[in-house]
Amino acid sequence: MLSVVLAALALTMFAGASFGMVGAPTVRKAAQVTYKMAVITDVGGLNDHGFNQAANAGRLQVEKKLGFQTRVYDTRTSAERLPNLQAAAQAGYQLVFGTGFFMGDPLDKVAPKFPDVKFAGIDVNYNTDLPSKPANVRGIQFKEQEAGYLVGYMAGLVLKQQPGPDIASAIGANTVPAIVRYFGGYRAGVKKADPKATVILSYANDPTFSDQAKCKEVALNQISQKTQIIFAVAGGCGLGALDQAKAQGLWGIGVDSDQLYLGPEMLTSALKDVAKAVYLTSQEFKKSPANFKTGFNKVFNVKNGGIGYGKVSAKLKNRAAIIKKVNAIKKLIAAGKIVPPAK
Amino acid sequence: MSEPESTGVDRDGAPTLGEDPEAYAPSVAGRLAFYQRAGGIVTPLTTTIVAFLMGGIVVLSTHHNPLRTYKAIFEGAGLNWFFHVGSHHITVPFTQTHVWFWWDTNTSHTAAYNLTQTLLTTTPLILTGLAVAFAFRCGLFNIGGQGQYLVGAIVGVYIGSRFTTMPHLPHLLFGLVAAALGGALWAAIAGALKASVGAHEVITTIMLNWIAYWGGSYLVGRGGPLRNHVDQSIPVSDDVVNGAKLPAIWGNPHLQALHAGIFIALGALIAFYVILNRTTLGYEVRAVGFNPEAARYGGISVARNFVLAMTISGLFAGLAGALDIFGWQFRLGVADVQVSNIGFIGIAVALLGRTSAVGVGLAALLFGALFTGTSTRSLDPTVFPPELAGNLALMIQALILLFVGADLVILYIWQARRKLRLTGRAPATKGSA
Repeated sequence: MLSVVLAALALTMFAGASFGMVGAPTVRKAAQVTYKMAVITDVGGLNDHGFNQAANAGRLQVEKKLGFQTRVYDTRTSAERLPNLQAAAQAGYQLVFGTGFFMGDPLDKVAPKFPDVKFAGIDVNYNTDLPSKPANVRGIQFKEQEAGYLVGYMAGLVLKQQPGPDIASAIGANTVPAIVRYFGGYRAGVKKADPKATVILSYANDPTFSDQAKCKEVALNQISQKTQIIFAVAGGCGLGALDQAKAQGLWGIGVDSDQLYLGPEMLTSALKDVAKAVYLTSQEFKKSPANFKTGFNKVFNVKNGGIGYGKVSAKLKNRAAIIKKVNAIKKLIAAGKIVPPAK
Repeated sequence: MSEPESTGVDRDGAPTLGEDPEAYAPSVAGRLAFYQRAGGIVTPLTTTIVAFLMGGIVVLSTHHNPLRTYKAIFEGAGLNWFFHVGSHHITVPFTQTHVWFWWDTNTSHTAAYNLTQTLLTTTPLILTGLAVAFAFRCGLFNIGGQGQYLVGAIVGVYIGSRFTTMPHLPHLLFGLVAAALGGALWAAIAGALKASVGAHEVITTIMLNWIAYWGGSYLVGRGGPLRNHVDQSIPVSDDVVNGAKLPAIWGNPHLQALHAGIFIALGALIAFYVILNRTTLGYEVRAVGFNPEAARYGGISVARNFVLAMTISGLFAGLAGALDIFGWQFRLGVADVQVSNIGFIGIAVALLGRTSAVGVGLAALLFGALFTGTSTRSLDPTVFPPELAGNLALMIQALILLFVGADLVILYIWQARRKLRLTGRAPATKGSA
């Protein structure tokens, strides 16, 4: 009986082979020069609702709008970071992005072997994470504290105008540097708008950035402490917290990408536009690959548009006035008049 | 693959411990002995083939060609390297001597590099597989390979990044031994609890896994005592000093080359076989595994063997963690602690390898190749979508586990076939009533 099943399975497979399941090789438009760009994600997966997904979204935009030939290398384990990076450089990609600060060491090792390839490490600090200072790597950093400050400031204004205790909170997935910076800016922003306010900051300890139950649990804890606004800095995990805020009629604040689509209970979102950073960097490369500068940190901030805040809920009272106030702060940050703290 | 000596049953099938352990003692090890007589290599092979076929159907259902996908996995694992023969030279490891070789070992070629990565993954899998297998032989199900692996890695990274004044070789040996002992101690806790109060090892090892997971996350995380001194915002430990690293034996040492740890893993396979089949200790461990009551009656201390078996298991797993740290990883980050699942794959390796030394070695190679082969760098997006590629390995692994669990079905068919064959002959065949 088993052999019958096996034979049937084998048949199905061979049928698949012979009857044109073979995907036709993707036909590329014969542009004058096609640049090749690759994105290497870090562990977490392409559907992490965060960093990796955003970098991949940026890649797709680059492919569509800039006409690059692109490919994504999804890293699943620690052992795959370096081989993936090397494979991309070896496969002739001229611009290679590594996402996440754990890419620092692999970039440090691989980049010197491929002097003709330009590398960019998202969240990699050129000055501290690359001991051998490879000349063909660019670090890409974000001022998350600026985005945290902006949404924190808005949260403070909302706390002041609505009845109830002046308590705002934030939930981080994990103590990674970016989240610590978000937290630092957020607390300062809330205090700036409402000096009397209390800010609760907690971590859900979810390295996968996708376990909604963990963030939900932390949210319930914060709600018991009478928080009025929850800033979820935790990718997919944070969705659990935002869901809980919504159920209790509290405000939620999204992170990284614009999460207003989750509903009108979303006050706004802190934007760290990784996709835009990938896009802008590739655009710069396309303009003149020869003059593409490496060997430094490119910082994305409010000033150059890599950092900001998202759309604001239509349900918010005095919406226009609040937006006006936040924009004024945004201008001050861009001008360097306000420097949000990084922790 | 089968080790008749290790089953405790005579090769001729003479009734020593009971002709049909299923009927009398359906203990884990008793079942195992039954399997080994019944199927030999058939069960693991069938389960693997069926798992791959099922995986192929899933690939097919995503409108991709399973044959092309499997070919890509095969090449991604670097196994095609063996087919390219020619006239080449290699350097004998640890020397400057060049000798003629029929394969091209230059790792700037993808096939050779992929093969080094497959073997790199196989190395810890052999050891975590042995960790599960050894306890299994004593009738214990060690789910704690992951925790023991992590403890080994933590101890390894601590010693490797400190004690910088030590001479190189003693430093490395100190690190490896201490890490192995750390893993052993971690497992011994579960063994001692089992021996003293009868706490089930499945429960305690799972709990110890979480302690290692969060303990490790704390130690190398922000503010933890093992965090690095270069950029404190990054939750990662300091690097192992250069001198204490395991020497690379194949490839560029800067590019995650295959390290000498694979010899240690292969040595562990031999040690496993010898301890289990050629020593009193191994005899006692197996006796307890078959039937603790009988062993106790025979004068064997069951409690002592529970602790010993777990300790030796932990030794293997702790060594696996150390080899990864001293071989290629050189540092331990929070993400590394939390994403790693080498210890859990070890369970699959041990079960598929049917807890024999040769079986574990081959199963580790299979899983190592599977995980390396399904990486997105090997699977061209036109062959298989990268979003699914990562899950393909997990799925095939899960299917294999499922079928290993369901191997009674396969055995039943196998037995029925044998019965048919036997009844065709004279009914006087010994012991098949």
